[in-house]
Amino acid sequence: MKYQSQKVAKLYFIAAIGLFVGQILFGLIIGAQYIWGDFLFPTLPFNQARAVHTNLLIVWLIFGFMGAAYYLVPEEAETDLVMPWLAKLMFWIFLAAGAATIVGYIVMPFADLAKLTQNDLFPTMGREFLEQPTITKLGIVVVALAFLANIGFTILKGRKTVINLVLLMGLTGLAVFFLFAFFNPTNIVWDKYYWWWVVHLWVEGVWELILGSILAFILIKTTGVDREVIEKWLYVIIAMTLITGIVGTGHHYYWIGTPEFWQWWGSIFSALEPIPFFMMTVFAFNMVNKRRRNHPNKAAVLWALGTAVMAFLGAGVWGFLHTLAPVNYYTHGTQITAAHGHMAFYGAYVMINLAIISYAMPLLRGREAANSNKSQVLEMWSFWLMTISIVFITLFLTAAGILQVYLQRFSDNPLPFMVVQSKIELFYVLRELTGLVFLAGLIVYVASFFVGSREPEATVEGEVVAAS
Amino acid sequence: MEKPRWPPGDLVIWIFILAELLAFGIFFAAYAFTRANHVELFNTYQLTLDRNAALINTVALITSSYFVVRAVASIRQDDSRRCFHWLLAALAMGTLFLLVKSAEYHHHFSQGINLSTNTFYMFYLSLTFFHFLHVILGMVILLAVALKARRGCYSAAEHTGVETGASYWHMVDLVWMILFPLVYVMR
Amino acid sequence: MAQAFTKAMARNIFYGGTAFFFLLFLALTFQTHSVVPERDNHEAINDTVALGKKVWEENDCIGCHTLLGEGAYFAPELGNVYKRFGSTDAIKAFIKSRPVNGVPGRRSMPQFNLSDEELEAVAQFLKYVSGVKTNRNWPPTPQG
Repeated sequence: MKYQSQKVAKLYFIAAIGLFVGQILFGLIIGAQYIWGDFLFPTLPFNQARAVHTNLLIVWLIFGFMGAAYYLVPEEAETDLVMPWLAKLMFWIFLAAGAATIVGYIVMPFADLAKLTQNDLFPTMGREFLEQPTITKLGIVVVALAFLANIGFTILKGRKTVINLVLLMGLTGLAVFFLFAFFNPTNIVWDKYYWWWVVHLWVEGVWELILGSILAFILIKTTGVDREVIEKWLYVIIAMTLITGIVGTGHHYYWIGTPEFWQWWGSIFSALEPIPFFMMTVFAFNMVNKRRRNHPNKAAVLWALGTAVMAFLGAGVWGFLHTLAPVNYYTHGTQITAAHGHMAFYGAYVMINLAIISYAMPLLRGREAANSNKSQVLEMWSFWLMTISIVFITLFLTAAGILQVYLQRFSDNPLPFMVVQSKIELFYVLRELTGLVFLAGLIVYVASFFVGSREPEATVEGEVVAAS
Repeated sequence: MEKPRWPPGDLVIWIFILAELLAFGIFFAAYAFTRANHVELFNTYQLTLDRNAALINTVALITSSYFVVRAVASIRQDDSRRCFHWLLAALAMGTLFLLVKSAEYHHHFSQGINLSTNTFYMFYLSLTFFHFLHVILGMVILLAVALKARRGCYSAAEHTGVETGASYWHMVDLVWMILFPLVYVMR
Repeated sequence: MAQAFTKAMARNIFYGGTAFFFLLFLALTFQTHSVVPERDNHEAINDTVALGKKVWEENDCIGCHTLLGEGAYFAPELGNVYKRFGSTDAIKAFIKSRPVNGVPGRRSMPQFNLSDEELEAVAQFLKYVSGVKTNRNWPPTPQG
């Protein structure tokens, strides 16, 4: 750590991990409700618990992105943050607003939350992933503006690297497209059309810029490969991302009352969306193979390589599986979608956050470069436990989805939804069990922060044969 | 003397040319596949297209590609001025293409035809419009190259920029060479 | 190596490509705006439907159900529920009859205690959605 103000990142990372734990616990609750339908009913109905699960995910990922930005922007710009106090203040505001909203989801029915937050004045709540009360949404905008000002001015003041610029563009895009969350017409077609401008243009657009720049930063730091090479790759990858991803939004416009031409435009461009993810995998492995030195933080390198592979599998391959309109006709809105969502979010966004946390936390806690061997071994165990779990969760949900599609939509005598659900229960049981393994992995992950902290740092075994 | 590099121009542009050809390729395949299932419909509405206009455009693009070839040849002989002029000529041909194509669109739109009129028009408008945008993009690139050539930024020794722009323009031309027979002529 | 695969080149492709495809996306959006009014059943939108959409949102129905395939996958698709149930009365009766304490061992919709006006509104909202013309009449079967 070179700049004092980078320290603020630590707060954000700790909050992110805490909320991550909450997200997984609520995931297990709703996973159980898939098996025992009356679990916690009527105290905590599925919709409330699911909102907690998905909203915690989004909030902790954003906490992680912000922490990553506060850590890497000063280091790249070679100057302290312009307003470290604002970063701290916004942290507490964001955490309080987020926590209050989550508590609201848990302790009261949505209708009461709507009344409490005066949803009548400006109704925006209760749409998927944008369930937040309007007042929370406004709070998010304030926090985002303060955050962007803080890192924006820091970048302007200091050295302008490609990583910083791309990160800033990604974060600005995140804020700009969030504004569509305030557009909520009665006409359901337009509601859905512009809802995707938040959801799709986030996760298959600007968030990938954030992902790419954080990954590039970690690779520069851990491999010692020339910045020019890495930045060039970064540009090419994000170019492909937006070239395919923007028109690729069309794969959400097949069945919502939008015209037929989207089936062609959406299919063709979203079929190309795996390309940038594939390039990212090639990029990460290439850079690690060409490394000029071995970095003692092996866990961070593992997360970085892991995110490149899992993002390709989850977002690329599992996305491609059901992106073509003739396939999507049958699979739209089934457990196939859920399968893809789980692996894509884990692979692309959870893992990149864990990668930057893994890289930065030892430094933020006063280490020279890395944690002790003992701590790293534990962290790598958690990597494998969580990653293998998510692969199996995805496989079980895919199996459930295929059966669901067949029984409910494809066979000669389509069965009612609830009948089908009881027939595929086995896969929900398997998913829940795997979820418990994931939780075990997460516990190991958290433990890795507390184990071996008094032991000496890991060192590099042997020098690299420099490839240059 | 250094032996000529292959491929000419910048490697990255070739990656993008391949990606573009892939996108167009999928679009063409989809067209062919759909046409096979709706031969009647496609044949009927194909007759509403203005084949003469398309022929003029084909000639315009081929000519412009020729001019671009001359521009590259000029810069290889260190003649920036001539290179600039050939590029301007190519741009003029590009403009002609845009004008003719716009007139065609105007004709269709004034009849109330749009992407949702039927499957044939969906493909016709999508393919030609996507290509139309590429012509515009190609012209922007050629213009940038031309202005740099006028400022004397290129020489016989270093003219990657000219080759890069030329390669992209040839791609745009090539796509039209497939599009024209596929959409306007084939029955 | 003389190969001029420069960073500036990659940057230009990023900016150029993004602008290009964003404009293309806007053009397609513009085109969508001109066609959707023929398919979106907007004639059916009135104050009741608007209230119904608000009821739908304020009770987070999307947290269990899908609507035209989007939402959670815990409960049945409702984009075609009007067709599946046959009438707004049947929809209202179903919502009204949900037991407060659920059904032992099974999934059950909560009892939302909607007023008569809200019930009517949410049923009219679902009826309106079922009138949206989707491609190939999605969902594929009455079961959703």
